[in-house]
Amino acid sequence: MSGLKRTCIVLASLLFAATQLPAQADDNNIRIGVLLPLTGPLAKNGLENWEAMQIARDMINERGGINGRKIEYLQGDANTPNAAISETERLITKDGIKITTGSFASPIAIAVSQAAERHGVFHWETTGAAEIITRRGFKHTFQVGAPARKYGEAAIDFIVNDLAKRLNKPVNALKIALLWENRAFGKSVGDGIRTYTKGKGIALAFDEGYDQTSTDMTPIVQKLKDVGPDIVIAISFPNDATLFQRKAKDLDFNVAAFIGVSAGYSSPDLRAAIGDSVNGIFVADFPPKVNAAVLAPETRKVAEEFYKRYEAKMKRPPAGHATAGFSAIWALFTDVLPKAKTFEPDELRDIALKLDLPAGSLVNGSGIKFTNLDWPDDPKDAGQNLRASIGVWQWTKTGNEEVYPPELATHQPVMVPLPEWSKR
Amino acid sequence: MKAMPAKPDGWRISGLPARGRISWFELVLFAICVAWVALGLAPTLQDVVVLSFLFAGLALAWNIAGGCAGLISFGHAAFFGIGAYASTILSQSCNVTPWLGIFAGAFAAAVAGAVLALICARLKGPFFILSSLAFAEVVRIIALNWSDVTGGAEGLSIPPVPNLANMVLGSKTAYEALMLVYLAAAYVLTRWLEASRLGFYLFAVRDNDEAAAAAGINPLVVRTAAMALSAALTGAGGTLFAQYFLYLDPTYVISPELSFQFALLPAVGGLGTAIGPILGSFLITPLSELLRSNLGNAAAGLHLVIYGFGLIVLMLYFPSGIAGALEKLRQRRPRP
Amino acid sequence: MNTILQLVISGLLIGSIYALMSMGLTLIFGVLRVVNFAHGEFLMIAMYGAWAFSRLLGVNPYFAAVAVVPAMFLFGALVYRLVIGSAIDKPHLVVVFATMGLSIFLQNFALMTMTADLRDVPPIFPHSISIGHIYIKGELLLGFVVTLCCTAALQWTIKRTFLGKAIRATVQDGEAAKLMGIAVPRIFLIAFAAGSALVGLAACVMVPLFSVFPTVGLNFVLIAFVIVVLGGMGSIEGALLGGFCVGVVQSVSAYYVAPAFGQLFFFVLFLLVMIFRPNGLLGQKGAATLGMNE
Repeated sequence: MSGLKRTCIVLASLLFAATQLPAQADDNNIRIGVLLPLTGPLAKNGLENWEAMQIARDMINERGGINGRKIEYLQGDANTPNAAISETERLITKDGIKITTGSFASPIAIAVSQAAERHGVFHWETTGAAEIITRRGFKHTFQVGAPARKYGEAAIDFIVNDLAKRLNKPVNALKIALLWENRAFGKSVGDGIRTYTKGKGIALAFDEGYDQTSTDMTPIVQKLKDVGPDIVIAISFPNDATLFQRKAKDLDFNVAAFIGVSAGYSSPDLRAAIGDSVNGIFVADFPPKVNAAVLAPETRKVAEEFYKRYEAKMKRPPAGHATAGFSAIWALFTDVLPKAKTFEPDELRDIALKLDLPAGSLVNGSGIKFTNLDWPDDPKDAGQNLRASIGVWQWTKTGNEEVYPPELATHQPVMVPLPEWSKR
Repeated sequence: MKAMPAKPDGWRISGLPARGRISWFELVLFAICVAWVALGLAPTLQDVVVLSFLFAGLALAWNIAGGCAGLISFGHAAFFGIGAYASTILSQSCNVTPWLGIFAGAFAAAVAGAVLALICARLKGPFFILSSLAFAEVVRIIALNWSDVTGGAEGLSIPPVPNLANMVLGSKTAYEALMLVYLAAAYVLTRWLEASRLGFYLFAVRDNDEAAAAAGINPLVVRTAAMALSAALTGAGGTLFAQYFLYLDPTYVISPELSFQFALLPAVGGLGTAIGPILGSFLITPLSELLRSNLGNAAAGLHLVIYGFGLIVLMLYFPSGIAGALEKLRQRRPRP
Repeated sequence: MNTILQLVISGLLIGSIYALMSMGLTLIFGVLRVVNFAHGEFLMIAMYGAWAFSRLLGVNPYFAAVAVVPAMFLFGALVYRLVIGSAIDKPHLVVVFATMGLSIFLQNFALMTMTADLRDVPPIFPHSISIGHIYIKGELLLGFVVTLCCTAALQWTIKRTFLGKAIRATVQDGEAAKLMGIAVPRIFLIAFAAGSALVGLAACVMVPLFSVFPTVGLNFVLIAFVIVVLGGMGSIEGALLGGFCVGVVQSVSAYYVAPAFGQLFFFVLFLLVMIFRPNGLLGQKGAATLGMNE
């Protein structure tokens, strides 16, 4: 019986811990639900995003908040899509949240926006890229960051408008290989690249998806070696990007240019993992730092403060998606919320749809202009930000430099063609 | 638990749960659930209640294979996913209402269950566990890559427009009721099985399949039937899940984590009993949801650290599950 | 010709690493008959240990083995005492779920203490060894050698030492072993701790090859289970053979079919083996269908 008693006490204390009430909130605050993956395999980037969001909140509150009211976040750990839905529902039904944001990863974003729309809640998606987010006819979901196809378009445009000339080959003579991780983001971007290249009459020499949890990249690298491409475009997450690069070095797989897309290739951990070999790799992603000349002076100050605070806390510069998260939420704080009176989703929707911010308005160089079933390319699209900027930057010895498009660039591309492994 | 199931003598109702007969405990519990839904209690916890009911039904479904037939499967997420995807694909591509699609999904899942049983049923213990896991992984990888049919990694989204004909309900209370109906159906099925000839064969094969074979029972046929039934019920739960969450993603819907959950709930509650899986779900589902919602903001991972620790403690102190503990309690009472 | 040779060689090399990581698991399976679902997390903890040792002392992680292997032995003994030991005579599901709870606990404990950042060590060998057009990564070759030595050492221990005999006796028939005066509970403890120590050794070999993060175990645990059952539970040579099979199948199938299918092929291989040779390639006859002595 004593075992039973002991267990009951343990269980009771667990339940007690679980039902602890949160501290009483200040009713005058504007409460925003933040859904991010804080545990599980996506936790790393989720936590970086969370850091960026917190800095935004602190900065706006120090400036007096929104018309005197402070911003308060209510968090949800959205480590799987189902948890995302449950957490979003909880924040909406239990805490009465009318504004949500998040979510770093596409499957989470799809789930959160779904749950939000069900309750007519305003969702401000910062980084989730899957195209389907804005193709479901939702009224209150706004995708501020770029949709997946823009990542691919940036890479291809860079090849067509810049790399081809540097490599002294016409675009049609270049062998381009596409490698995509087979989860939502990789597949989405891969699909986008396929459509875009077809539209431009460019043939891909290699087009394969791979399992993101692979522990051995040998067959993939070998397959690529056998094709012998000039340029490889790879969409990977941090762990598989590291494994791929290492294996490429082991098997001496060399290309003239390597363009990584987002998540894996823009993570600061890549340099820690493969050292100086990282120099020369291009990345199609949110700009880490844009040519300051492009930003409005006020935005420039905000950007610098963000970088300073982030580096102080995390001991490294922010990855592109963290900057994008900050940019998006800052835009909410400075361009949407101050115009609101009731903070009801419909009112926020009207304000969002009227936004017309040129490129360079946001910290990461983007502008804002949302579609509203009026986009010629897809009349069913609503809430997509047509001015989200994705460019191409490059890892260099001195830091990460934006190289494309030229208006945003801080640097010219270097190391083209990419030297062999032995020389890097 | 090794004795033959008692034939229900008349309709005598016992105090605490026992195999083969209804008890006051279960009737009262059911009444509480119905009242909870009807009165719309705890409106902020409705999501937790919906999930608790659904997972209780899913736990009962798993229990038919795992508890009654002794087929400890860690691959039930495959059946769950097949049911969910089948009904959703039929609904989106062929305009078949999920009210019918749920049966198609259950049937497809049953076929898959029969296949698994035919391949692996003669394997014991860890061999069967891992085979079922491998089976589920094969299904998941196929679902992930067969984009034309399943939407691949981007998954399938169901429009969140309330529409009774398409099983998209307007209120949480309606979902609570739907899941409670599912739970009741699973419960009735389990009780029926316990009292039936098939159930008798199942327990015999589970406890000693050589003796059962010697007595003329064909273990393979019995196990296949049990697995098919279990899979069908799990697939039906998958459809309900799809209609509640309105989003299917193969990485999470056909995951080992979900398979573990289906097995964990009956194990905590008490394997092989009808009340065990229900108790397991009513304890674990709210616990994990509440832990995450209240502690998810404290420090990343804290709620899961506590959950993991709690799980260890629970399993070590309640090895026969909660129902097992209740059984011990029942045995201490003086018999009339 | 060149390609297939590269694929097979790489497959064997990585397969040996998989085998090393699975040896601890097969030892535990074979002796205790329990499934340790926290195996991936044991690997993760050992990898963090090897990384930390290597970083703190500025040495390469192979040297970390002198600290990590004993530390993992103690860790395994501790886990056995606290968690497994009391559950060993209960229905085997109890151990399964208790170790699952342990797995969740360890993953998130690591997340809380080490954060989700990827941890790496610098490469040990600056270049791969190239023979003709075949490239062999130094760290993989070293891992291969370590695995072979480890297999031989384990074989020797099992066949020649008294401890080995006691273990074999316990595996064959626990009751009879007890009657013969073997302290079976002590054997269980030693086997579990030794299995854990083997994971520690594998971690030291794996840290130069793979980044460490809290959920890294998830990528390996299914592979380990498949190898153990494929090779035959309790069979060390079986684990080695299973590892080679998995490595080569993965390598060749990803090249000739599609990398997107990832682990599909070795799961299918696994299921085929379960249908036709359910005891695994080198396992105890009848183990799968008659059950281990429970």
